[in-house]
Amino acid sequence: MKKVVLVAMVAAVVFPAVGLSQQALQLDGSTTVGPIGDAFAEAFMRKYPDLKITVNKTGSGDGAAALVDNRCDIAMMSRFMKENEFRSAVINSVWPMAHVIAMDGVCVIVHPSNPVTALTTEQIRSIYTGKITNWKNVGGADMPIVIISRDTSSGTYETFHGLVMNKEKMAANTEYVPGNPQAHARVKTTAGAIGYVGLGFLDVSVKALTVDGVKPNKQTIAKGKYPVSRPLFLFTNGYPKLGSIVHEYCTFYLSEEGQEIIEAKGFVPLTNY
Amino acid sequence: MNKALQSFWETMLGVWGRSALATRQIFNKVFTSSAHLSVALLVVVLLIFLVPMIRRGSTAVVFRGTNEFRELQWDLHTRGDPDDVQAETRQVEALRATFYERIDHFKRGIDINARVDEARQIYRRYGEELDQKDVTGQDKQTLRSRCRTVRNQFVEALEQTDADAALEMLDRVLAYRSDPDFRGTVVEEYFRQALDYKDIVTSIDLSRREKYAGPLEEVQNALVLLFGPRPDEPLPALTQNRYGATRWDMAQRNLHTIVYATEWVSQEEGQPLIKKEVRRDQSESQFKGTTLESWFGDLEANVEAMLKPRWTLYWQYFIDDSTPGHYFGGVGPEIIGTLLLTLLAMAFAVPLGVVSAAYLVECAGDNVVVKIIRTSVNTLAGVPSIVFGLFGLAFYILYLFPKIGLPSQKCILSASLTLAVLVLPVIIRASEEAIKSVPQTYKEASLALGAGRFRTFVTVTLPAALPGILTGIILSVSRAAGETAPIMFTGAAALGPIPESITEPTRALSYGGYDLAVGDRLAMLVPHKQYGMVMTLITLILLLNIIAIYIRSRMAKKLRGY
Repeated sequence: MKKVVLVAMVAAVVFPAVGLSQQALQLDGSTTVGPIGDAFAEAFMRKYPDLKITVNKTGSGDGAAALVDNRCDIAMMSRFMKENEFRSAVINSVWPMAHVIAMDGVCVIVHPSNPVTALTTEQIRSIYTGKITNWKNVGGADMPIVIISRDTSSGTYETFHGLVMNKEKMAANTEYVPGNPQAHARVKTTAGAIGYVGLGFLDVSVKALTVDGVKPNKQTIAKGKYPVSRPLFLFTNGYPKLGSIVHEYCTFYLSEEGQEIIEAKGFVPLTNY
Repeated sequence: MNKALQSFWETMLGVWGRSALATRQIFNKVFTSSAHLSVALLVVVLLIFLVPMIRRGSTAVVFRGTNEFRELQWDLHTRGDPDDVQAETRQVEALRATFYERIDHFKRGIDINARVDEARQIYRRYGEELDQKDVTGQDKQTLRSRCRTVRNQFVEALEQTDADAALEMLDRVLAYRSDPDFRGTVVEEYFRQALDYKDIVTSIDLSRREKYAGPLEEVQNALVLLFGPRPDEPLPALTQNRYGATRWDMAQRNLHTIVYATEWVSQEEGQPLIKKEVRRDQSESQFKGTTLESWFGDLEANVEAMLKPRWTLYWQYFIDDSTPGHYFGGVGPEIIGTLLLTLLAMAFAVPLGVVSAAYLVECAGDNVVVKIIRTSVNTLAGVPSIVFGLFGLAFYILYLFPKIGLPSQKCILSASLTLAVLVLPVIIRASEEAIKSVPQTYKEASLALGAGRFRTFVTVTLPAALPGILTGIILSVSRAAGETAPIMFTGAAALGPIPESITEPTRALSYGGYDLAVGDRLAMLVPHKQYGMVMTLITLILLLNIIAIYIRSRMAKKLRGY
């Protein structure tokens, strides 16, 4: 009897249940875009209770790789596809198509006790390359600068590296942290720290610096005035079939509900309802 | 000469012997006390590690739930008594309404742009109204231009920062009240607003209007987090924004943001700023001397009545699904996923591991090939887990699955196979040692009775070695359940339905904890969810271990024969 139960249990686990005709949607990619992916998924699950949505957040690069291998329907990316990713996609007859769903600003943050309120991109670059090591050199207190950066595989790092650093190498004493919350936490607790996070992570416990005279906020980022702004992408294989669930998902940002969700998640919407 | 030497040696040895005894005793004492010390240290480390984790983690399950929590429970899971929940909601909403009213009143004096826009709207609506009444030509022109005068005066009053001047302008607007042309039209809205604004002007320092805007926004944002969206507002799209503070500890944090303002003030030129926390109702730079001054004290005094916190045991935390991003809800699917992954990995790894161990001990001799195999197994045990993850992705998902007709995607099967490879070395090593330690006499007795080598192994060696093998299994269960890197690329999803078959990805506790830590800003708002997930994982591993240890002790008892 025991054996029968055991076999039945194993069978129940191993053999796929009937009802595979259910529609499924697979998303993979950036940890930055992930929260939007989650929230859109929530709205879609409410709309289509039978739809199976899976969201994986392992990084922009993994999203691109998954799209190339046809392992996902939509790749979430906080940067554009790189040349080699594009090439391998085309070789696999996958034609990456970018949908910009929102904008995000990479905000340079310091501890709120820091008297410095504004820096230029040149100054930030000098700090990150290790040429400036004390806050007094940029008009602050006599305090050594603690440099916090995101890990080099993140899209946020790449944006910062491209737009602020001009692809220059960061100083050897740079501290790399794996996520936005960690960068935020590190700056929050360190008086001399400088770091960078997405717009949604700004709160009263850190101070966002004015960069090149522009304060990071929804208006300046949406218009591209803030120098470290970037679009957030969904990539699909070709333009999704009109009326399909992928199509609806990729255009959801255009709806009023989509805009509300993007705002609720701390990003800058492209629409203005 | 010899004798002398001998006696000398004897004396020396005697002294040494005596002193050696003393030294040995000292060594013994040192040894036992250091053993005690290390055990004590271990316990202390465990306590430092586990106690805060369990304590903080338990806040996900035991907390003071507010009425918002009970509302959420009813809406999402139909738990609780609907009549009670509704009655409670009505009750708190009635109380909250007065606070909303008071802050709105204040805001009307601050947010001038909105009011100017509104005044323009009224003017436009008046034009439409005239069209509907078929007033045309010259009449329309005059009426509209008069309305425009009223509007302009009202707007001017709004834009005044001097209270007396504003009041004068308002009086001019109100002078039109007796005008029969405007009676019963939309223009009366101007008069109503003018009266309202007159009230505001007398209580707010208009010149500081700009300065109120920032703090007011902070207060309003925190108020939304405290009480949720207002009852007359449309329902937000995301569940996470539909409720206020569901927990008393979160409510208190939001209340603190409302009542206290953090200011960073400069002490000296070139020195770091100093943090200053001030009550908003006692600071000139905040709301002192305004109509809102008493609002903060009243809110503090009444917040408990407006949220009705009550001690709650949210045991459903362990079975509930969560809203995306883990803002609300529990870890049910994660527990199922972790269990599935672990047990399946064990189902693959244990038979394979035990058979390999048996081969290595019983059949394989002591030649170079076996040595190489052994070294390889040992090396495998030291390979970083992320390497296994990437191997799983490359081998199972990208290479093997398409070949055997399975979908080439992350799934439970590939994840558990990867975990199986990960724990295999541990199981092989432990099983090998266990099989080796079975006394040779057991086997010889069995062989002497005429049993073959296979039969001897299955009926004699294996049962005798089982407790040792189980030790290896216990170690690997904990490892498999807790690993994140191998399943990240092979089968774990941050969000997804509860899997219906092993060809679908699943959520897992370990990956969920990672996802919460690196991804969403929500994690910063709900730390108890993070603690809760870690606590659940530890408890789960503990439970699995306890079960395995219980089985092992029963087996050992059986083996001893009593």
